[in-house]
Amino acid sequence: MPISHSTLLRRGLAHYWRTHVAVVAGVVIAVAVLGGALLVGSSVRASLRRIALQRLGNTSSAITSAILFREQLAASIPGSAPMISLEGLVIHPGSRRRAGQVLVYGVDERFWRFHGVPAVTLDGRDAWLSSALAAEVAATKSDTLLLRLEKLGDIPAESIHGRKEDAAAAIRLRYAGPLPAEQMGEFSLRPSQGAIRAIFLPLRRLQQDLGAADRANTLLVNEHVDAKEMLREHFALADLGVRLKPVSDATQVDTFSGVLSPQLADTATHLARDAGFAVTPVLTYLANSIRANGREVPYSLVAALPPGAAAPTNTAMPDNAIVLNDWTARDLNAKAGDKVSLDYYLWKDDGRLVTESSDFVVSAIVPIAGLAADRHLAPEYPGITDAESVSDWDPPFPMDLSRIRPRDEEFWDSYRATAKAFVRLEEGQRLWSTRWGNVSALRLNGGSISAEEFAAKLRQALDPEKFGLTVMPIRALALDASRGSTDFGEYFLYFSFFLVVSALLLVGLFFRLGVEHRTRELGLLEAVGFTRLQAARHFLSEGLVLASIGSVLGLGAALGYAALIVYGLNTWWSGAVGTHDLQLAFEAPPLLAALVFGIVTGVGVTALTLRRLLRETPRALLLGGWELPAHAAKSTRARWYAVIFAVLSLMLAAAGARGDIPGAAAFFGSGSCLLIAALTGFRRWLSAPASSGLLGRSTSLWPLAFRNLSIRPGRTLLVASLIASATFLLISVESFHREGAVAGGRDSGTGGYRLAAESVRPIYYNLNDTAGRETLNLAGQNDTNFVSFRLKPGDDASCLNLYEPRNPRVLGAPQTFLREGRFAWSSSLALTPEDKANPWLLLERRSIAADVIPAVADANSLQYVLHKKVGEIVEVPGSRGVPIRLQIVAALSDSLFQSELIISEENFRRAFPDIQGFRVFLIDAPAPRVAGVSDALEDALSDSGFDAQDAGEKLAAFHRVENTYLATFQALGALGLLLGTLGLGTVLVRNVLERRREFALLGAVGFATSRMRSLVWRESLLMLAAGQLAGIASAAVAIAPVAAERGFTGSLVSMSAMMAAVFLTGVVACWLAAGYVARLPLVEALRAE
Amino acid sequence: MLALRGIAKEYASPAGVLRVLDSVNLDLKAGETASMMGPSGCGKSTLLSVLGGLEAPTAGEYTLNGANPYSLNADALAHFRNKSVGFVFQDHCLLPQLTVLENVLVPVLANSSPDRDAAERARTLLHQVGLRARLDHFPAQLSGGEKQRAAIARALIREPQLVLCDEPTGNLDRHSADAVAELLLSLAGSGERIVVTVTHSPDLAARFGSHFVLRDGGLFRA
Repeated sequence: MPISHSTLLRRGLAHYWRTHVAVVAGVVIAVAVLGGALLVGSSVRASLRRIALQRLGNTSSAITSAILFREQLAASIPGSAPMISLEGLVIHPGSRRRAGQVLVYGVDERFWRFHGVPAVTLDGRDAWLSSALAAEVAATKSDTLLLRLEKLGDIPAESIHGRKEDAAAAIRLRYAGPLPAEQMGEFSLRPSQGAIRAIFLPLRRLQQDLGAADRANTLLVNEHVDAKEMLREHFALADLGVRLKPVSDATQVDTFSGVLSPQLADTATHLARDAGFAVTPVLTYLANSIRANGREVPYSLVAALPPGAAAPTNTAMPDNAIVLNDWTARDLNAKAGDKVSLDYYLWKDDGRLVTESSDFVVSAIVPIAGLAADRHLAPEYPGITDAESVSDWDPPFPMDLSRIRPRDEEFWDSYRATAKAFVRLEEGQRLWSTRWGNVSALRLNGGSISAEEFAAKLRQALDPEKFGLTVMPIRALALDASRGSTDFGEYFLYFSFFLVVSALLLVGLFFRLGVEHRTRELGLLEAVGFTRLQAARHFLSEGLVLASIGSVLGLGAALGYAALIVYGLNTWWSGAVGTHDLQLAFEAPPLLAALVFGIVTGVGVTALTLRRLLRETPRALLLGGWELPAHAAKSTRARWYAVIFAVLSLMLAAAGARGDIPGAAAFFGSGSCLLIAALTGFRRWLSAPASSGLLGRSTSLWPLAFRNLSIRPGRTLLVASLIASATFLLISVESFHREGAVAGGRDSGTGGYRLAAESVRPIYYNLNDTAGRETLNLAGQNDTNFVSFRLKPGDDASCLNLYEPRNPRVLGAPQTFLREGRFAWSSSLALTPEDKANPWLLLERRSIAADVIPAVADANSLQYVLHKKVGEIVEVPGSRGVPIRLQIVAALSDSLFQSELIISEENFRRAFPDIQGFRVFLIDAPAPRVAGVSDALEDALSDSGFDAQDAGEKLAAFHRVENTYLATFQALGALGLLLGTLGLGTVLVRNVLERRREFALLGAVGFATSRMRSLVWRESLLMLAAGQLAGIASAAVAIAPVAAERGFTGSLVSMSAMMAAVFLTGVVACWLAAGYVARLPLVEALRAE
Repeated sequence: MLALRGIAKEYASPAGVLRVLDSVNLDLKAGETASMMGPSGCGKSTLLSVLGGLEAPTAGEYTLNGANPYSLNADALAHFRNKSVGFVFQDHCLLPQLTVLENVLVPVLANSSPDRDAAERARTLLHQVGLRARLDHFPAQLSGGEKQRAAIARALIREPQLVLCDEPTGNLDRHSADAVAELLLSLAGSGERIVVTVTHSPDLAARFGSHFVLRDGGLFRA
């Protein structure tokens, strides 16, 4: 047969190609934007994955430790490579440039072999730099570089015997060249999208300069090895810092750190007792003075022993009893019953060295024999116990050498570190316990097994991961983190939302225009016997073909759109992503999703347009119009919608003003409802019954222009809605823009602090303490107040980090800071008035469970990066193989703490006992001196890599990321608005074309062309103005609280410019449409054919 | 046999209810041709729409050969229009994207069961209306009269019992109008077919067997 349904379809598609091209174009845009946005998301994820894996090389897992373990462990674990991995400060004396927080790697040929890349020559003092670091310090080959980093000592720095200000190693190196990424120049165990600043130096050199011969702190393991199992099998007690040594006729268990952790002490004690050993725990401490009867003995060791030990102490000793050896008793002229005072140093947790005293009563005098003569009761303290004389002591605390008498040297010559006095173990532990433990050694006597056998048993019983040797599944963690904290696909979908909606509205508009043009065809089909379904199917088939063509073409455009966005992220918007290394990744699922979306929505829009028409009778369709009753019904509904949404808008605004709902949400919701009310009110106005007095009262064209718009109210409303919605969104988004460095008071995001600082190396001294300042050469800063925070390094939890933080940074905040109650809050779990006034106090309250620590986070980080809410738990890895559970008890509002979680310092010491010193600081200084204070601090603390910046500027850095996202949203929103304006222009031109007979009539009755143009102008301007006014008015309501809070100066200018641009674009469209009038063939239009 | 009893048609409007037809009665026998005249806006086209199953009356009964098409569901009504009614509109209403032959065959597409003779019938009809040489031409290439002749062929392709013409010569010059009128009566008016035309032209009306006038909502035999 010469005709079939497909013939009808093909002919219809070909004949009305002009309209169809516009429909297809709309679908292309919608699919391109949707597919492109989804591709951007998958591209960012793929890029993060690629970057992370590239930087890991062949590393599958890593064994790390806070202390150094035997390098030999690597030999026992095949497929592994040892290294020392630290953070340091690189200084280029030549350019005077310095770079802090540099990744320092001590490696040898095993490192390159492990990764399967050509090795570089690392001799003597050679150092290779990553490209980014080389550029930062402006180094050229053979330049001298200075590397400063923290020495990894066995003895905790924050203990009395730990080295502090001389704990830094300064290593002079020669720059050998930049190490490209292909040769692991960007090696990093922690995923980060930013440039890697790393320095590679010979492992032996680093070991030597750190005083850590044959030691390492990191073992890289490849995927073919079960790291946990191999570690379990091959670790030695020495890798945990545990030592067993024969002393006299006993075996002593002690550690390189000088103290046994409670876990180690318990395990060893139980094992020893099970093996028949008598266990004597010992705690030895250095007393600055033993005083009695007006005399004193300087710098003496005191041992705390349990009662009942085969030792001078016995069960009858009261708590404050002290036993003196006879040498000491003679020196003090002391006898049983005399009062003796001990003076000793304590290193306080807030970084102060204090001298404290305790009084005792002599309970016995013992000869220097047996346990009382045992010089091994004291731990090994380098610089003290290995000194040849007391005067040669090099302790990490102040010592008055003038107090040393010849008698003291004689004692040292004979007895070395033998204790001069003994107290009860419990009393010693009460005075001298630290967070690392309260026993310095375990003395084992007797036993049914040998010392070697006991050592083997002890090794078997200890889980290395619970003692600081951590196995991290690095590759799995990196892949997890690569999913990203920010779903860019989702974000760009939101950003492009208006573009997608505009495109779909245009699809609907153009399709509707096309169908309106063919209502008679629809009527004819029904008249000749097509059922409603058959007629609808015909047009739906056209819609399906157009949507399919548009969707397929849109896929190609999606690739282009995604490529453009990725280019934008690498360039204009790199502030939001912090990298220039994103690459477009082609993935089928996003494109398929966009294809399906395009086809479904294209057909959906067609169906929605047809639904309206197919309700008309065939006769009405043949007449090409709509029946009036439908108008009347729609008009009534529109009125009710307008009222309902207006009331809703008022209710939301009132709720927001009262604080029942968060202000921003309330007012944004109120503005949105007002927008809908305005548009439905406009619809109602358009559908209002025509007034009979249109003509005759005046010669103004405005009433006629309005009447003309109301003939096609749906079309008019669609265009006005596009413009109103875009205007509303763009103004509202602009209001969230934050500019410039933020200076504020105590309740602001900076807490009123002037400077925020961080150091590469920990600072152990209290910067508010006179002694501390003198030690650190900060004597001139007496009017400056410091708040010092402990830092557990980890992943940045702010928007600056694209990777999902699996191990976020944690700060330990001092009590004085918590009590001050600074900063502003978004929400908290506070119940009492005191806690509500200062939610920081929640960090000191008891938590919901014994293993849960209360923590504070910034609201932005909580929501957008960690994806948690107040009350939820965040787990961070602990150093003893057990995750630390932090419950978020409060959220800060837009603070400078967006990169970390904060807990109390007390909880921090408990959770992370191995982390010592302070690395993050907030500084209060008189405003005129802030710059000077910053310079002075960086100068005095340069060896610690101290870097201070204006607190407001730090907060502004976060705002810049936010602003970049907003700018992206606005750029895409503006594109959507332009599309909307294009729609306006199309409708206007279409209106003119459809009304050519009307204009012909006007011309015939005497309207000059200029007057007809003026009529079209007014119609166009009414649509444009209605849309913009509705959008602006609604947006003003939406942004009221933000404007009240922050003012609007800068934003007002850019917003006005944006609105002016939109208006001008609309005016151009109006002008084009008006110009068409003059080109209409009016005479021909008056004829029937 | 066509019968209308008490047919009324009202429309709602902002100004109130508009009663276009009021108690219209009509009886036409098979093979009868009828013209309807009346002033503009009297409801001639409305009455034609009612007769053609395009628009249900507000009141009254309509039967064609004993069956009331408005008692049928929508699909059956469409089938009624397809099988039983042929329309000739004032402005032909040809689809611009189809050729003349294809336009004539459009009603055949509405039918799901194949009609193998339709193409031949269409060619024959187009030959009869003098458009044998224009089968593959598009409406834009035809004159007004030629378009109307094509429309007549389309109206007859399904061999309907009832042919309805709404001002079929209204847009034509006299010569074309005469030709179309002649065709209409010779082709449509043969056999048992009922032909009803609405016209302003007394000349056209005079060619039809029965004459009616629509006035004040009612139908009167002239």
